[in-house]
Amino acid sequence: MLIEIKDIYKIYNEGKESEVRALDGVSLQIDRGEFVAIVGQSGSGKSTMMNVLGCLDIPTYGDYLLDGTEVTELSDRQLARIRNREIGFIFQGYNLIQELDALENVTLPLIYQGVSVFEREDRAMEALERVGMADRAHHRPSEMSGGQQQRVAIARAIATHPPIIMADEPTGALDSKTGRHVLSILRDLNTEGSTIILITHDDGIAAQAKRRVRLSDGKIVSDEALKEGAVV
Amino acid sequence: MNLFQAFKMAFKSIALKKTRSFLTMLGIIIGVASVVIMVSVVAGQNKMQMAYMEMQGNNIVEVNAYSQTGQDMDQIINDYVATMGSDLVVGLTPNIQLYNEMIIRYGGKTFSTQNWERWEDMIQVVLANDKYGVCNNYQLASGRELSYLDMETENNVCVLGSGIKEKLFNYTDPVGETITINGLPYLVVGWYQSKSVQGWEEVDNVIVLPYTVNRTLNKNSDINQWKVKCPTSSATSEVQLRLQGFLDGMFPVDENGNQQGGWGNAYSNNTWQEHAQESAQMQAMVMGGIAAISLLVGGIGIMNIMLVTVTERTREIGIRKAIGAERRSIIAQFLIEAAVICGIGGILGILIGCAGSLIAGKFLLQGMILWPDQGIVLGAFLFSVVLGVIFGMYPAVKASGLQPVVALRAE
Repeated sequence: MLIEIKDIYKIYNEGKESEVRALDGVSLQIDRGEFVAIVGQSGSGKSTMMNVLGCLDIPTYGDYLLDGTEVTELSDRQLARIRNREIGFIFQGYNLIQELDALENVTLPLIYQGVSVFEREDRAMEALERVGMADRAHHRPSEMSGGQQQRVAIARAIATHPPIIMADEPTGALDSKTGRHVLSILRDLNTEGSTIILITHDDGIAAQAKRRVRLSDGKIVSDEALKEGAVV
Repeated sequence: MNLFQAFKMAFKSIALKKTRSFLTMLGIIIGVASVVIMVSVVAGQNKMQMAYMEMQGNNIVEVNAYSQTGQDMDQIINDYVATMGSDLVVGLTPNIQLYNEMIIRYGGKTFSTQNWERWEDMIQVVLANDKYGVCNNYQLASGRELSYLDMETENNVCVLGSGIKEKLFNYTDPVGETITINGLPYLVVGWYQSKSVQGWEEVDNVIVLPYTVNRTLNKNSDINQWKVKCPTSSATSEVQLRLQGFLDGMFPVDENGNQQGGWGNAYSNNTWQEHAQESAQMQAMVMGGIAAISLLVGGIGIMNIMLVTVTERTREIGIRKAIGAERRSIIAQFLIEAAVICGIGGILGILIGCAGSLIAGKFLLQGMILWPDQGIVLGAFLFSVVLGVIFGMYPAVKASGLQPVVALRAE
């Protein structure tokens, strides 16, 4: 099992009147090569779920085994290593660094990985080509459309060839055509063996996945396999 | 992430935020420049003062005395000094600097003792005896000093300082030539080598006449300034004390603190030198303190701006952490950024400080070429970089400790 969480809680202001249980005892297993959509309304805890799964946040209680490693016991440095090598993130707001051009943004995770100067530019270019953005390598995010920025963000997520790709509302800020393009890239990546975890509030987008996990009030309310090839 | 990459990132981030980076640097620039300039000016001032004292020569007692009852002070001082013997006194000369206007001419060239517009052309006429050179630290270049006979027979002869010699004679030997002072002819019998002290070139613009010609040039015929040359520093203190005691006895102080029957005092430049050194040290400390405070203020400016930078860039830090930046990479990035800003600011501050020192030397210290001390320059530079690192540390540590999700939420 690639990802295995057991009784995960994420509680804010615990014990106070304003206590919020963003995740309320969630258990989930995701296998290598799956394409899972985590769906839920705003406030259902799906973003917290991704933060915990992506090692961006630490759960209040619970166990998280990532490829057999207990993540909750890892040091800051080891977590950074996991975020760098094991997981690629795609955010709703792209989260590109505005001061850097597309190529530099994609190179960044490779720099942190310690890839040599000569190799990393090639690998970053390769990732940009993969998403069809090679011709915009030296454009800044402000000079690109939302769809183009999201493709650069995908290139950044896949530059280190991580086994897991997490996408938080990747199409949320895009029109439906570019959104479909982004989703098709994710599907292709899944076909090539990447494990994709897609967070969305939109059932139509979730239908692109092979499995749908529905969250409500911090709890999993349904977990079902989907038919392949549904078209939005 | 390696160090080279971190430097590249720091430079990039500085280049992208030029205005803010410059404003940050400004504190350091002003701090370092003011340290360099202040220390240089104080050092230059001391150097000039020391050079002046050197030029005056050591072991000299200056005596000023004036009798209201018409006593011949020259005779009295001469008699008193004569009792001291050669182990205490090497020479004694009247040292009367004339301040009335005199016109000096030779071969169509004219100079005045009152040329206030061009102080470097202003001439000082001094009445003295054959010991003038000894008592004022001058060395003869050629010819001879005034002689005892010149005094006795009131010869119209003179000895020139190198400054006036050059102005009148260029590079030819003036000995045997005749110049005129207020129309009266004076035969040049010798000239002194330059004391060549930067900032005090006018000391070479001196014309020494036998003091006995006083009556023809000086409306006030009294002699009331002398210089006594002593062989050693201890002899100097001794002579100064004795002369002061003698003069105090001659002109006793009344209950109001005024000297009666005239006045008189004796200084030695040895004591003056000590005082000057003490006050110079004091000055250096005060100026250094002020300069250090301005550097510190610059450093606090750096800290402020780094804090603002971190707050502004929290989201960027979140992104970097999300894609795998380790804590130390973030710390390194911010530290290097701070150090580079301070380093560049330090270098600019040094450049401005050097320029400022040269300008200050030119206008405040009479054209002295004032190069800042290398140790001070290096110290100020290192201090500014270390300051950047120290003050860059806190915000960098703070930023790097954020949970990625917290940092990403920042807008």
